[in-house]
Amino acid sequence: MAPKPISSPVPVAWYPSLAVLMLSVGLLVTASFFIYEATSSRWNRRLSKEIATGAVASFFLGFGSLFLLLATGVYV
Amino acid sequence: MEAIRRSIDLSYSFIVDLSMDQIRIDLTSSIVRVFLTLKVENTGASQASDVLLAFPPTEAEHLAIVKASTAEGKRKRKTYVPLSVNPTELPDAPNGARLFSISLRNPLKTGEAAVLEVLYIVTHCLEPFPVEISQSETQFVYYHDSATLLSPYHVMEQITYIKTPNNKVESYTRVDPTNRAGTELRYGLYHDLPPYSYSPIIVHFENNNPFAVVEELVREVEISHWGNLQVREHYKLKHAGARHKGVFSRVEYQSRPSISGVSSFKHLLARLPPRVHSVYYRDEIGNISSSHLRLGSQKSELEIEPRYPLFGGWKATFVIGYGLPLQDFLFESPDGRHYLNFSFGCPLLETVVDELTIKVVLPEGSKNPSSAVPFPVNQQLEVYYDFSPISMLAEPLMLVSAVFLFFIACIAYLHIDLSIRKS
Repeated sequence: MAPKPISSPVPVAWYPSLAVLMLSVGLLVTASFFIYEATSSRWNRRLSKEIATGAVASFFLGFGSLFLLLATGVYV
Repeated sequence: MEAIRRSIDLSYSFIVDLSMDQIRIDLTSSIVRVFLTLKVENTGASQASDVLLAFPPTEAEHLAIVKASTAEGKRKRKTYVPLSVNPTELPDAPNGARLFSISLRNPLKTGEAAVLEVLYIVTHCLEPFPVEISQSETQFVYYHDSATLLSPYHVMEQITYIKTPNNKVESYTRVDPTNRAGTELRYGLYHDLPPYSYSPIIVHFENNNPFAVVEELVREVEISHWGNLQVREHYKLKHAGARHKGVFSRVEYQSRPSISGVSSFKHLLARLPPRVHSVYYRDEIGNISSSHLRLGSQKSELEIEPRYPLFGGWKATFVIGYGLPLQDFLFESPDGRHYLNFSFGCPLLETVVDELTIKVVLPEGSKNPSSAVPFPVNQQLEVYYDFSPISMLAEPLMLVSAVFLFFIACIAYLHIDLSIRKS
């Protein structure tokens, strides 16, 4: 019986690249969110678009900061 | 004294013995290693399935390891005959002698003989005398033992070799025939000894090897399924040799190292697993920079130098931490549970640990932890637990929801109308 070693689901070598990628995408979507908020008036705003943009941005920012923490050695 | 080699032949109601065989020697520091070569023969009517070893109670208290093996094949050696540790089995064992039973792989039939090799290691048995020494004196210790092996069997022939680190032996008990040649002291050849025969001897000799004792060691192992095992060890180190008295002169210590502080030690070597990273060595003051790390493919060596050399009775407290890749230590067993296979003992070489606590921190979402700790020490510790990979998403989901809450707050702020006047 050769025990199967367990390793991370994502290769450890990818952590820094994934962190940079996801954080930049997340920041871009955040920027798009705030631009939409700034350029639309109260009556033109659509709530569904705001929430959707916010959700996508928070997903990318959340995972990006997770990989940033892992890449710097804080293994959460 | 470095080691005692004994070759003993036993006889008992089952077992008789023959003449002696190979003798081996071992050299050590403050820890005593004893090699026994026993040739046992069964002279009883029934089969013998195990062989008993006896130890006096004081020695049995400080026994670190007892290992036995038997040679099989012509030039190859089987490493282990499983040794089971038993409390005193025989009701008539005198003076509280503690017995250990070696289980033979094939029971010994009447008239058969077998050769067993036994290694046992005893700690804390070298007593420094004089108890206090100054900086420029060397350290002498007492070794208490018996010229004849304490054994529940009748012994036909026996010889004991004692190897000291150097030629300076102050005195030793004579139990004829006794002979000394250089670093080797021989007690033997004795014939026809009754069971449980014991002739106490004392050897007073010079031993300047480092007497490093870790009084308390707390090891924390933190498992992260994202690929890392973080180990943190808190040490309380002490020099357990002859106590230092008088002043410590740094000038004398550094200018004449061969005379001053010969029994003190400056360096300690720790053996770490091969792919170690992020090693740190610090204490309460801060980082200690006097250390060297040598990485290798089979093992890594960390040489640490405490802030001051340790003389008798002096203590040092420090923390060593390092990270290890997860796939070297965490495995999945066939029944689906995860298990961690980690070495139990202390990575410092040639040190004795008095108290050891190991804490294993399992990742969030683990269920049903259980552990298997084999004895004697220096084996692998195994911790089993159930863990579903979905639990790994707990941390990123926490982060995602925190950021999303921020966005919801922004949206809510922009939608709320706080003006008093209708616009």
